[in-house]
Amino acid sequence: MHIMEGFLPWQWCVVWWLVALPCLMLGVWQLKKVINADREALPLLGVTGGFIFILSSLKLPSVTGSCSHPTGTGLSTICFGPWVTSVVCAIVLLFQSLFLAHGGLSVLGANIVSMGIVGPLVGYIVYRLLKDTSVNVYVTVFLAVALADLFTYVVTSLELALAYPAAVGGFGTSFVLFMGIFAVTQVPLAIVEGVVLALVFKYIVALKPDILIRMKVFSEAQINRARGEA
Amino acid sequence: MAKSYLLEILAVVAILGFCAVFLYTSSIMTGAEFAGSDNVGSNLIAELTGKDVESFTPLIPQWEPPSGEIESCLFALQSAIGGICVGGVFGYWLGQKKSMSETKANQ
Repeated sequence: MHIMEGFLPWQWCVVWWLVALPCLMLGVWQLKKVINADREALPLLGVTGGFIFILSSLKLPSVTGSCSHPTGTGLSTICFGPWVTSVVCAIVLLFQSLFLAHGGLSVLGANIVSMGIVGPLVGYIVYRLLKDTSVNVYVTVFLAVALADLFTYVVTSLELALAYPAAVGGFGTSFVLFMGIFAVTQVPLAIVEGVVLALVFKYIVALKPDILIRMKVFSEAQINRARGEA
Repeated sequence: MAKSYLLEILAVVAILGFCAVFLYTSSIMTGAEFAGSDNVGSNLIAELTGKDVESFTPLIPQWEPPSGEIESCLFALQSAIGGICVGGVFGYWLGQKKSMSETKANQ
Protein backbone atom coordinates (compact mmCIF):
# COMPACT_ATOMS: atom_id res chain seq x y z
CA MET A 1 0.00 0.00 0.00
CA HIS A 2 1.06 3.63 -0.27
CA ILE A 3 3.31 5.49 2.12
CA MET A 4 1.16 7.18 4.76
CA GLU A 5 0.96 10.93 5.21
CA GLY A 6 3.50 12.18 7.74
CA PHE A 7 5.70 9.11 7.52
CA LEU A 8 8.23 10.59 5.13
CA PRO A 9 10.53 13.47 6.17
CA TRP A 10 9.78 16.66 4.22
CA GLN A 11 13.19 16.60 2.48
CA TRP A 12 12.34 13.27 0.86
CA CYS A 13 8.83 14.46 -0.02
CA VAL A 14 10.44 17.31 -1.97
CA VAL A 15 12.92 14.98 -3.70
CA TRP A 16 10.18 12.60 -4.92
CA TRP A 17 7.92 15.46 -6.00
CA LEU A 18 10.82 16.81 -8.08
CA VAL A 19 11.26 13.38 -9.69
CA ALA A 20 7.52 12.98 -10.31
CA LEU A 21 6.69 16.41 -11.78
CA PRO A 22 8.72 16.24 -15.04
CA CYS A 23 7.36 12.74 -15.69
CA LEU A 24 3.80 13.98 -15.19
CA MET A 25 4.36 16.89 -17.56
CA LEU A 26 5.81 14.53 -20.18
CA GLY A 27 2.77 12.29 -19.61
CA VAL A 28 0.24 15.10 -20.13
CA TRP A 29 2.03 16.15 -23.33
CA GLN A 30 2.11 12.57 -24.65
CA LEU A 31 -1.53 12.04 -23.71
CA LYS A 32 -2.60 15.10 -25.72
CA LYS A 33 -0.55 13.89 -28.68
CA VAL A 34 -1.99 10.38 -28.62
CA ILE A 35 -5.60 11.55 -28.35
CA ASN A 36 -5.22 14.21 -31.05
CA ALA A 37 -3.67 11.63 -33.37
CA ASP A 38 -6.44 9.08 -32.88
CA ARG A 39 -9.75 9.73 -31.08
CA GLU A 40 -10.29 5.98 -30.82
CA ALA A 41 -7.42 5.86 -28.32
CA LEU A 42 -9.68 7.54 -25.74
CA PRO A 43 -11.89 4.47 -25.06
CA LEU A 44 -8.75 2.34 -24.72
CA LEU A 45 -7.47 4.83 -22.15
CA GLY A 46 -10.85 4.51 -20.40
CA VAL A 47 -10.52 0.74 -20.11
CA THR A 48 -6.87 0.64 -19.05
CA GLY A 49 -7.32 3.58 -16.65
CA GLY A 50 -10.56 2.07 -15.35
CA PHE A 51 -8.67 -0.97 -14.17
CA ILE A 52 -6.26 1.22 -12.21
CA PHE A 53 -9.31 2.71 -10.43
CA ILE A 54 -10.85 -0.70 -9.74
CA LEU A 55 -7.80 -2.71 -8.74
CA SER A 56 -6.17 -0.05 -6.57
CA SER A 57 -9.31 0.10 -4.42
CA LEU A 58 -9.32 -3.62 -3.64
CA LYS A 59 -7.38 -4.33 -0.48
CA LEU A 60 -6.68 -8.04 -0.48
CA PRO A 61 -5.33 -10.26 2.28
CA SER A 62 -2.00 -11.95 1.67
CA VAL A 63 0.34 -14.63 2.97
CA THR A 64 2.09 -12.30 5.41
CA GLY A 65 -1.09 -11.78 7.41
CA SER A 66 -1.51 -8.24 6.19
CA CYS A 67 -3.41 -6.62 3.33
CA SER A 68 -2.33 -4.77 0.23
CA HIS A 69 -3.89 -3.79 -3.07
CA PRO A 70 -2.88 -4.47 -6.67
CA THR A 71 -2.03 -1.48 -8.85
CA GLY A 72 -3.64 -2.30 -12.20
CA THR A 73 -1.09 -0.18 -14.05
CA GLY A 74 0.19 -2.93 -16.38
CA LEU A 75 -2.32 -2.65 -19.23
CA SER A 76 -2.02 1.11 -19.35
CA THR A 77 1.77 1.02 -19.52
CA ILE A 78 1.68 -1.57 -22.33
CA CYS A 79 -0.77 0.47 -24.41
CA PHE A 80 0.32 4.04 -23.59
CA GLY A 81 3.74 3.84 -21.93
CA PRO A 82 4.74 4.72 -18.36
CA TRP A 83 4.42 8.53 -18.66
CA VAL A 84 0.73 8.56 -19.59
CA THR A 85 0.17 5.91 -16.92
CA SER A 86 1.75 8.20 -14.33
CA VAL A 87 -0.92 10.83 -15.08
CA VAL A 88 -3.79 8.36 -14.53
CA CYS A 89 -2.12 7.11 -11.35
CA ALA A 90 -1.70 10.67 -10.10
CA ILE A 91 -5.48 11.16 -10.42
CA VAL A 92 -6.23 7.95 -8.49
CA LEU A 93 -3.64 8.76 -5.82
CA LEU A 94 -4.98 12.32 -5.46
CA PHE A 95 -8.51 10.92 -4.97
CA GLN A 96 -7.21 8.53 -2.33
CA SER A 97 -5.21 11.16 -0.45
CA LEU A 98 -8.03 13.72 -0.46
CA PHE A 99 -10.97 11.48 0.43
CA LEU A 100 -9.60 8.30 1.95
CA ALA A 101 -6.58 9.40 4.03
CA HIS A 102 -4.80 6.71 2.03
CA GLY A 103 -1.44 8.20 1.17
CA GLY A 104 -1.36 11.98 1.43
CA LEU A 105 -0.50 15.23 -0.31
CA SER A 106 3.07 15.53 0.96
CA VAL A 107 3.90 11.88 0.15
CA LEU A 108 1.95 12.01 -3.14
CA GLY A 109 5.16 12.60 -5.08
CA ALA A 110 6.79 9.50 -3.59
CA ASN A 111 3.68 7.43 -4.24
CA ILE A 112 3.45 8.65 -7.84
CA VAL A 113 7.09 7.66 -8.34
CA SER A 114 6.50 4.11 -7.05
CA MET A 115 3.04 3.31 -8.43
CA GLY A 116 2.88 5.64 -11.42
CA ILE A 117 6.42 5.83 -12.73
CA VAL A 118 8.97 3.17 -11.75
CA GLY A 119 6.52 0.24 -11.50
CA PRO A 120 4.99 0.95 -14.92
CA LEU A 121 8.47 1.69 -16.33
CA VAL A 122 9.66 -1.78 -15.29
CA GLY A 123 6.50 -3.31 -16.83
CA TYR A 124 7.08 -1.31 -20.01
CA ILE A 125 10.70 -2.45 -20.30
CA VAL A 126 9.62 -6.08 -19.86
CA TYR A 127 6.97 -5.59 -22.56
CA ARG A 128 9.45 -3.95 -24.97
CA LEU A 129 12.00 -6.72 -24.44
CA LEU A 130 9.46 -9.48 -25.13
CA LYS A 131 7.36 -7.66 -27.75
CA ASP A 132 9.27 -8.66 -30.87
CA THR A 133 10.22 -12.14 -29.71
CA SER A 134 8.26 -15.33 -30.27
CA VAL A 135 6.92 -15.17 -26.69
CA ASN A 136 3.12 -15.50 -26.60
CA VAL A 137 1.35 -12.12 -26.41
CA TYR A 138 -0.56 -13.08 -23.26
CA VAL A 139 2.60 -14.28 -21.51
CA THR A 140 4.15 -10.90 -22.30
CA VAL A 141 1.11 -9.10 -20.84
CA PHE A 142 1.14 -11.33 -17.74
CA LEU A 143 4.83 -10.67 -17.04
CA ALA A 144 4.60 -6.92 -17.68
CA VAL A 145 1.53 -6.55 -15.43
CA ALA A 146 2.85 -8.72 -12.59
CA LEU A 147 6.28 -7.04 -12.55
CA ALA A 148 4.81 -3.52 -12.76
CA ASP A 149 2.76 -4.40 -9.67
CA LEU A 150 5.62 -6.00 -7.76
CA PHE A 151 8.18 -3.29 -8.52
CA THR A 152 5.79 -0.61 -7.30
CA TYR A 153 6.30 -2.02 -3.82
CA VAL A 154 10.01 -2.66 -4.28
CA VAL A 155 10.25 1.08 -4.92
CA THR A 156 8.05 1.88 -1.90
CA SER A 157 10.47 -0.18 0.21
CA LEU A 158 13.41 1.63 -1.38
CA GLU A 159 11.90 5.06 -0.66
CA LEU A 160 11.29 4.18 2.98
CA ALA A 161 14.70 2.53 3.42
CA LEU A 162 16.42 5.65 2.03
CA ALA A 163 14.53 7.83 4.49
CA TYR A 164 14.93 5.46 7.45
CA PRO A 165 18.26 3.59 7.34
CA ALA A 166 18.61 1.20 10.28
CA ALA A 167 20.96 2.16 13.11
CA VAL A 168 22.77 -1.13 12.58
CA GLY A 169 23.32 -2.16 8.96
CA GLY A 170 22.00 1.14 7.52
CA PHE A 171 20.11 1.28 4.25
CA GLY A 172 20.56 -2.41 3.33
CA THR A 173 19.01 -3.74 6.53
CA SER A 174 16.09 -1.33 6.31
CA PHE A 175 15.51 -2.22 2.66
CA VAL A 176 15.30 -5.94 3.47
CA LEU A 177 12.90 -5.24 6.37
CA PHE A 178 10.60 -3.03 4.26
CA MET A 179 10.74 -5.50 1.35
CA GLY A 180 9.58 -8.18 3.80
CA ILE A 181 6.49 -6.11 4.56
CA PHE A 182 5.59 -4.54 1.21
CA ALA A 183 7.04 -6.72 -1.55
CA VAL A 184 6.48 -10.18 -0.06
CA THR A 185 2.84 -9.33 0.68
CA GLN A 186 2.52 -8.28 -2.94
CA VAL A 187 3.81 -11.46 -4.66
CA PRO A 188 0.52 -13.44 -4.70
CA LEU A 189 -1.44 -10.29 -5.59
CA ALA A 190 0.90 -9.58 -8.50
CA ILE A 191 0.42 -13.08 -9.90
CA VAL A 192 -3.38 -12.93 -9.73
CA GLU A 193 -3.38 -9.42 -11.21
CA GLY A 194 -1.18 -10.64 -14.09
CA VAL A 195 -3.54 -13.48 -14.97
CA VAL A 196 -6.68 -11.35 -14.68
CA LEU A 197 -5.35 -8.48 -16.79
CA ALA A 198 -4.05 -10.94 -19.41
CA LEU A 199 -7.67 -12.15 -19.62
CA VAL A 200 -8.90 -8.56 -19.97
CA PHE A 201 -6.35 -8.05 -22.74
CA LYS A 202 -7.81 -11.07 -24.52
CA TYR A 203 -11.22 -9.31 -24.59
CA ILE A 204 -9.66 -6.09 -25.90
CA VAL A 205 -7.98 -8.15 -28.64
CA ALA A 206 -11.31 -9.82 -29.44
CA LEU A 207 -13.37 -6.59 -29.52
CA LYS A 208 -11.02 -3.92 -30.83
CA PRO A 209 -7.91 -5.43 -32.43
CA ASP A 210 -7.54 -2.54 -34.91
CA ILE A 211 -6.74 0.06 -32.22
CA LEU A 212 -3.97 -2.15 -30.81
CA ILE A 213 -2.49 -2.57 -34.29
CA ARG A 214 -2.80 1.16 -35.14
CA MET A 215 -1.11 2.15 -31.89
CA LYS A 216 1.57 -0.48 -32.61
CA VAL A 217 1.01 -2.15 -29.23
CA PHE A 218 1.58 -5.43 -31.01
CA SER A 219 2.09 -6.20 -34.71
CA GLU A 220 -0.81 -7.29 -36.91
CA ALA A 221 0.63 -10.80 -37.20
CA GLN A 222 0.89 -11.10 -33.42
CA ILE A 223 -2.65 -9.86 -32.84
CA ASN A 224 -4.04 -12.22 -35.48
CA ARG A 225 -2.18 -15.10 -33.91
CA ALA A 226 -3.48 -14.07 -30.47
CA ARG A 227 -7.07 -14.00 -31.81
CA GLY A 228 -6.69 -17.47 -33.22
CA GLU A 229 -5.23 -18.87 -30.05
CA ALA A 230 -7.50 -17.72 -27.33
CA MET B 1 -12.67 -25.94 -26.78
CA ALA B 2 -10.56 -26.22 -23.63
CA LYS B 3 -7.72 -24.39 -25.37
CA SER B 4 -9.84 -21.43 -26.43
CA TYR B 5 -10.87 -20.87 -22.80
CA LEU B 6 -7.39 -21.44 -21.38
CA LEU B 7 -7.05 -17.88 -20.03
CA GLU B 8 -10.49 -17.95 -18.41
CA ILE B 9 -9.65 -21.25 -16.74
CA LEU B 10 -6.29 -19.92 -15.56
CA ALA B 11 -7.93 -16.79 -14.12
CA VAL B 12 -10.48 -18.86 -12.17
CA VAL B 13 -7.74 -21.19 -10.92
CA ALA B 14 -5.59 -18.21 -9.86
CA ILE B 15 -8.46 -16.56 -7.96
CA LEU B 16 -9.52 -19.83 -6.29
CA GLY B 17 -5.88 -20.54 -5.41
CA PHE B 18 -5.63 -17.06 -3.91
CA CYS B 19 -8.71 -17.71 -1.76
CA ALA B 20 -7.32 -21.11 -0.68
CA VAL B 21 -4.01 -19.51 0.35
CA PHE B 22 -5.94 -16.89 2.33
CA LEU B 23 -8.03 -19.52 4.14
CA TYR B 24 -4.88 -21.48 4.93
CA THR B 25 -2.86 -18.50 6.23
CA SER B 26 -5.77 -17.14 8.26
CA SER B 27 -6.24 -20.55 9.90
CA ILE B 28 -2.59 -21.13 10.83
CA MET B 29 -1.70 -17.51 11.66
CA THR B 30 -4.16 -17.01 14.50
CA GLY B 31 -2.57 -13.72 15.50
CA ALA B 32 -2.78 -12.21 12.01
CA GLU B 33 -4.79 -9.00 11.93
CA PHE B 34 -4.78 -8.53 8.16
CA ALA B 35 -4.11 -4.85 8.65
CA GLY B 36 -2.81 -2.80 5.74
CA SER B 37 0.83 -3.27 4.81
CA ASP B 38 1.15 0.52 5.17
CA ASN B 39 0.22 0.23 8.86
CA VAL B 40 2.73 -2.59 9.35
CA GLY B 41 5.31 -0.45 7.53
CA SER B 42 4.55 2.50 9.80
CA ASN B 43 5.17 0.34 12.86
CA LEU B 44 8.55 -0.60 11.42
CA ILE B 45 9.36 3.09 10.84
CA ALA B 46 8.46 3.79 14.47
CA GLU B 47 10.73 0.94 15.53
CA LEU B 48 13.64 2.12 13.36
CA THR B 49 13.42 5.73 14.55
CA GLY B 50 12.58 4.86 18.15
CA LYS B 51 9.57 7.22 18.05
CA ASP B 52 5.91 6.52 18.71
CA VAL B 53 3.66 5.86 15.72
CA GLU B 54 1.41 8.64 17.09
CA SER B 55 4.25 11.14 16.87
CA PHE B 56 4.11 11.00 13.07
CA THR B 57 1.53 13.62 12.20
CA PRO B 58 0.51 14.67 8.69
CA LEU B 59 2.79 17.32 7.19
CA ILE B 60 -0.16 18.67 5.24
CA PRO B 61 -3.47 18.63 7.15
CA GLN B 62 -5.61 15.80 5.94
CA TRP B 63 -9.30 14.95 6.02
CA GLU B 64 -9.92 11.48 7.32
CA PRO B 65 -13.09 9.48 6.76
CA PRO B 66 -14.87 9.63 10.15
CA SER B 67 -15.63 5.91 10.16
CA GLY B 68 -14.81 2.63 8.47
CA GLU B 69 -18.25 2.67 6.83
CA ILE B 70 -17.62 6.01 5.15
CA GLU B 71 -14.15 4.91 4.10
CA SER B 72 -15.45 1.71 2.50
CA CYS B 73 -18.18 3.74 0.79
CA LEU B 74 -15.57 5.98 -0.82
CA PHE B 75 -13.43 3.00 -1.82
CA ALA B 76 -16.49 1.40 -3.41
CA LEU B 77 -17.16 4.68 -5.21
CA GLN B 78 -13.62 4.61 -6.61
CA SER B 79 -14.01 1.11 -8.02
CA ALA B 80 -17.48 1.98 -9.32
CA ILE B 81 -15.99 4.84 -11.34
CA GLY B 82 -13.49 2.39 -12.81
CA GLY B 83 -16.21 -0.19 -13.45
CA ILE B 84 -18.36 2.32 -15.34
CA CYS B 85 -15.40 3.27 -17.57
CA VAL B 86 -14.55 -0.35 -18.36
CA GLY B 87 -18.12 -1.52 -18.90
CA GLY B 88 -19.06 1.53 -20.96
CA VAL B 89 -16.14 1.14 -23.33
CA PHE B 90 -16.56 -2.61 -23.77
CA GLY B 91 -20.22 -2.00 -24.62
CA TYR B 92 -19.26 0.78 -27.05
CA TRP B 93 -16.75 -1.49 -28.80
CA LEU B 94 -19.23 -4.35 -28.94
CA GLY B 95 -21.84 -2.07 -30.54
CA GLN B 96 -19.25 -0.72 -32.98
CA LYS B 97 -18.28 -4.23 -33.99
CA LYS B 98 -21.90 -5.28 -34.43
CA SER B 99 -22.88 -2.27 -36.55
CA MET B 100 -19.77 -2.76 -38.68
CA SER B 101 -20.63 -6.36 -39.46
CA GLU B 102 -24.24 -5.30 -40.20
CA THR B 103 -23.09 -2.66 -42.71
CA LYS B 104 -20.90 -5.25 -44.34
CA ALA B 105 -23.82 -7.68 -44.56
CA ASN B 106 -26.06 -5.01 -46.14
CA GLN B 107 -23.58 -4.11 -48.85
